[in-house]
Amino acid sequence: MTAPVLDIDRLRLEIGAAAVVDGLSLSVGQGEIVALVGESGCGKSLSALAVLRLLPDAVRLAGGRILLEGKDLATRDMSSMAAIRGRDASIIFQEPTASLDPLMPVGDQIAEALTAHRSVSAREAMLRAREMLVSIGISDPDRRLAQYPFELSGGMCQRIMIAIALICGPRLLIADEPTTALDVTIQAQILHLIRQLVAERGTAVLLITHDMGVVADIADRVVVMYAGRVAETATAEELFRAPRHPYTALLLASIPRAGIKPKSRLATIEGTVPPPSSHGSGCRFASRCPLAEDRCRIESPPLVDHAPGHQAACWRSGQVATLGAAA
Amino acid sequence: MLRYLLSRLLQAALTTFGVMTIVFFVMRLSGDPVLLLVPEGATREHIETVRRELGFVQPIWRQYLTFLGGLLNLELGVSVVQRVPAWDILASRIPYTLALAGAALLVAVGFGIPAGIAMAIWRGRWFERPIAALVVTGQSMPTFLSGILMIMLFAVTLRWLPSSGVDGPASVVMPAIALGMLSMSTFARMARIAVVDELSKDYVRAGLARGLPLGKVVTRHVLRNAAIPVVTIAALETGNLLAGAIIVETVFAWPGIGQLAIQAIQSRDFLVVQAIVLFVSLVYVAVNLAADLLYAGIDPRIRLGKP
Repeated sequence: MTAPVLDIDRLRLEIGAAAVVDGLSLSVGQGEIVALVGESGCGKSLSALAVLRLLPDAVRLAGGRILLEGKDLATRDMSSMAAIRGRDASIIFQEPTASLDPLMPVGDQIAEALTAHRSVSAREAMLRAREMLVSIGISDPDRRLAQYPFELSGGMCQRIMIAIALICGPRLLIADEPTTALDVTIQAQILHLIRQLVAERGTAVLLITHDMGVVADIADRVVVMYAGRVAETATAEELFRAPRHPYTALLLASIPRAGIKPKSRLATIEGTVPPPSSHGSGCRFASRCPLAEDRCRIESPPLVDHAPGHQAACWRSGQVATLGAAA
Repeated sequence: MLRYLLSRLLQAALTTFGVMTIVFFVMRLSGDPVLLLVPEGATREHIETVRRELGFVQPIWRQYLTFLGGLLNLELGVSVVQRVPAWDILASRIPYTLALAGAALLVAVGFGIPAGIAMAIWRGRWFERPIAALVVTGQSMPTFLSGILMIMLFAVTLRWLPSSGVDGPASVVMPAIALGMLSMSTFARMARIAVVDELSKDYVRAGLARGLPLGKVVTRHVLRNAAIPVVTIAALETGNLLAGAIIVETVFAWPGIGQLAIQAIQSRDFLVVQAIVLFVSLVYVAVNLAADLLYAGIDPRIRLGKP
């Protein structure tokens, strides 16, 4: 197996004294789409921002390594990060329209991503921007280049963001909830576009999402996060077939799907993610877990291998299958 | 764009007309102008003569029409004190006030905006503090106090600058600083707020994410976005500069419109006061129109008409 493009090792992020991400490890190989899944507040978006060192001021990178093609980004200073962002690793965000400068034509913003890293003329950069739009299947590229973000739909803005992210040919693309703000039909188009571009270019993709439907659609492997920790990691296929962590099982049970009885209630997970300040020594999911026993509240379960590439952190993973059948 | 332009022009024209009407009627509400104009102890015949000479015997609506008609020809009446057209008196003072207000605006914008940007980018760091202290000082100091303090220091003690009057370009320095100081603080605070506000937006993070250094994100994206509220303030500040000029021109014996206003009020030169009020109002309308046009230049959503 070749070395992964992105290798995050025991990442720890803190706000004040509380750890919001606690020992996250994951890797993404060339051409692979890895989904990082979890509820709001589980630390998945902060982990994504941490890779490019774009964390808000309040969040501190307190430990761990972030290896991008072998280079540790966690120890870099901010000025050398600018050279890496957009060139070696790019990120697209949840709000594509807000992520574009409202006062600048989108063509200039795509070209800007190129001129930030390559010494090309403005004319050349604009030609490349045009090529980029053509390659992601945007019709009438010349008109699009001259338009402002407010003249474009959300889906079109996200395509522009993808063009900006990929114009320098980065090895890694981080997509932070790229379709959450879009209509369902547009979601599918954007996901399809991402999958196609990855296949063509061999770009590694770290996809942040809370949507299991999106995961099922395009992810190769999945990392499920709960309250700042990895709960389970597996190939997408294996995870959907045989989840080994009750949180994953309940997440899967809460997806609406065709064939369920009208007016029947969808499964929900009672309660909310506990705040980082309230974490005790036990499993963080224990307070919401139907399988929890005394041991779970005292001792934190380690990540254990269940099959090649399939790990889960649960003392009672043997009983998870019964949970899935009940739901 | 054309629609925006026409609507703004129409608005400016309506405002101008409103200003003229209000000026006309307020002036007539402030008491019988003839009694203000004639010397004390004037005879009844004398008063009547003056009243007829100035056209105050006509019905008010006819006076109003005559007034509006006169304005079209820049005819603002004749100063009863100096016996020359009020417009001529005003016109001789306009260049001085424009020079002073322009220099003051230069001080305010030239120092205020960079200070505001610096405070926004380095907010919370130690070097925000001295800049903030300067801004608060500028804001807290009344113009007449800063003017007199400067005269004592730079004119009396150090003898670097002339204390008052107009004697070459050096004369404008102190009045411009005194007048511009308050506006400078306003610009600094507004620029800081606008830039901080923009820095928290998603496109800034996205700009950093494509590999632009923060400095480039600021110069290429943030400043232009932050300019819109600042332009609004600039237009409003022009009003403050013109109002402040009344005090500053008096402190520094600067022969501009502000000084003329004080003199005209003291000598009950009714028509000159009216001319000044009109002129200042029109400048205000013109500056706000210019601000509206600038918005369109900055923001394509205004220029192209956001759907």
